[in-house]
Amino acid sequence: MIETYDGAVPDVGAGFIPARLQSSRIAGGDNPRPYCSAVASSLEPAAYTQPCLRHRVLSACLWAIDAVPRVSRNCLLTENRRTMSRSAIFGPSPRPSPGGRGSHLEPHRNALSQCERERVRVSRGKNLFCSRLLRHCLSACLALILTVSAGPAHTKLVIDLENPHLAKMPVAIPDFISSSPGPLNGKTLASVIRNDLYLSGLFQIIETGPSQGFKQSGEPDLEAWSKTGAQALILGSFQVNGDDLVVEARLYDLALGKLELGKRFTGKIKDQRRVVHVFGDRVMEKLTGIPGCFSTRIAFVAEGRSREVFSMDYDGHSSRQMTQTRTINLSPEWSPDGQGLIFTSYINRNPDLWRLDLQTMEPKLLSGQPGINASARYSPDGRAVALSLSAQGTPKIFIISTQGNIIKRLTNGRGNDISPSWSPDGNFISYTSDQAGSPQIYVVPVGGGEPARLTFASNYNTDPDWSPRGDLLAFTARIEGRFQICTMRTDGKDLRVLTDKGSNQDPSWSPDGRMIAFTSNRSGQWLIYVMNARGEIQVPVSSIPGKFPAWSRNPR
Amino acid sequence: MSSRFLIHSAVLMLTVVVLLSGCSRPIVRPGEDPAGGMPAPYGAPQVGEHDLQVVQAELRVIYFDYDKYGLTPESQSAVQYNAEVLRRAPHLKVVAEGHCDERGTPEYNLALGDRRGRSVADQLMALGVDSHRLSTVSYGSELPVDPGHNEAAWAKNRRVYLRVSR
Repeated sequence: MIETYDGAVPDVGAGFIPARLQSSRIAGGDNPRPYCSAVASSLEPAAYTQPCLRHRVLSACLWAIDAVPRVSRNCLLTENRRTMSRSAIFGPSPRPSPGGRGSHLEPHRNALSQCERERVRVSRGKNLFCSRLLRHCLSACLALILTVSAGPAHTKLVIDLENPHLAKMPVAIPDFISSSPGPLNGKTLASVIRNDLYLSGLFQIIETGPSQGFKQSGEPDLEAWSKTGAQALILGSFQVNGDDLVVEARLYDLALGKLELGKRFTGKIKDQRRVVHVFGDRVMEKLTGIPGCFSTRIAFVAEGRSREVFSMDYDGHSSRQMTQTRTINLSPEWSPDGQGLIFTSYINRNPDLWRLDLQTMEPKLLSGQPGINASARYSPDGRAVALSLSAQGTPKIFIISTQGNIIKRLTNGRGNDISPSWSPDGNFISYTSDQAGSPQIYVVPVGGGEPARLTFASNYNTDPDWSPRGDLLAFTARIEGRFQICTMRTDGKDLRVLTDKGSNQDPSWSPDGRMIAFTSNRSGQWLIYVMNARGEIQVPVSSIPGKFPAWSRNPR
Repeated sequence: MSSRFLIHSAVLMLTVVVLLSGCSRPIVRPGEDPAGGMPAPYGAPQVGEHDLQVVQAELRVIYFDYDKYGLTPESQSAVQYNAEVLRRAPHLKVVAEGHCDERGTPEYNLALGDRRGRSVADQLMALGVDSHRLSTVSYGSELPVDPGHNEAAWAKNRRVYLRVSR
């Protein structure tokens, strides 16, 4: 599949946002107005000339953090991942802070100061303006920005920041059109991206008629579309020539009457869903600053007579059997480079760690220590694997090389330690241990140090998965006798229970941190589900029963 | 006489279990290969298959409390009984297979099953069974003996099964 820019559209894709503003992308979500407003223009005059549609979506990107008190929410959102994970768990960062303050402060104040630093960094030459406002009264600052920035053109787009049920962006996606449809159906293609955007939890899909909203010239009548209540419009067209497929797709900002993104894809007919998923990823990148996860895959273990490893598109399509071991397989995990899958298998009648090369599809023994070689997870850089080994007695967390050699033992003590999960910066590992009598979640620095216990609420908390954004841990907790997916911050605070039907377990974050895959028996059998990070939308995706979902780190 | 009776009763029990269970999930029954139709774990028979079956049928399953790997008084006496049986059959190797009930995270259950197998193996060693004959393997919650979703089924599934081989 080849992806090019639509000839009619300037390159507004990746790289549009200057690198120095990367960390402020999420900050924009909490405080969407500045970049549209006079205040914002004074902060960043050159960088933001048009992305109003983007922040309207960003406003909805507060996702899992909306109930945190005002100040800390701001800070979480503005916080750089590395400092976040370090400071939230182990207190202030030892590194000198860019703003020159904060290291001596207690955690709450420290968070505030980091927030402030971030603002200072973002605003650069406006230190005085920004820090003074923030130091003296953050809420007044917000109010001021809102008031000052209430430009006439965008008044209706202000999203109530205090509303925990954040507004979703209404988007219209009519069926894709074609002059030579052939075997393809424009309705099917449009339904792929409709489903993608719906599952992200950030969009409300507006129902559309088949051919409304076009001028006689064939150009879209943006005003007419705007009247449907939609704020964004996605149009697609395709051409089939034999086995070849060309898809063109565009994203329009209806409030500004403006083309935001245009892409042309050339590929084969069998790539049809993938092409649309990739465009969905680009739409998410355009609107939120972080590419979507729609072209990624989920590996899982079939439940039932077969215990083979399968993989499927994140939405359940294009399912494929990956192993032929004819034995029990557990805990698949994608390598960060997407070239391999590791999993625990009883091929040699012991739970050993195997690696499946996705080119040759041949499994190779990676760790065959006596006892369990279980719950293996690649480090974010792909150079090491954390897993639980019981060769020395009790199951403990070890780090091994990608050749299977033990690099170090990470945990000690009496408990069963299992299910490691790396922080995205690779500096910490959270894991499950029953050293205090019941399984609880702990976090330990990879470089060495004492583990810290994070969970206290339930007497059964297992299987942590660290969000790719670094700020949240998803895990399984037993609540009233059943198992539910929860999230909490990396300091153990702000516990949220996301599921309440049946039993649910094995959470796995999507690479963009917006969704969680898990397995649930709510329908009577264990199926793989995906949900958005706030749990509002939960849908089964696997066509066969399965457990151990593992989301790939990058597009296939 | 008594061994014959034991075999007969084991066969009868197997039949009853087969008749009662109708589930797509692989279910392990005493004496059955755990990995579902895979080749037998150990080499061709050299000493009597009959002897092996007799010993296998005589060994008791050791049961555990929920989320525990320590031995209860009942499981302690089962281990003692098994140690006696194994001492009388010094030529046989033993694998302590640790299992859990279906509740909880499979990965955690794998660790728990490992500890259960090890608890039993350690206790057998303490009771005089040669450590070279002993090994453990955890199946976590992957191979329930009872497919039910109730306390009676769970109690049966929290177990260590001692599998003997030549």
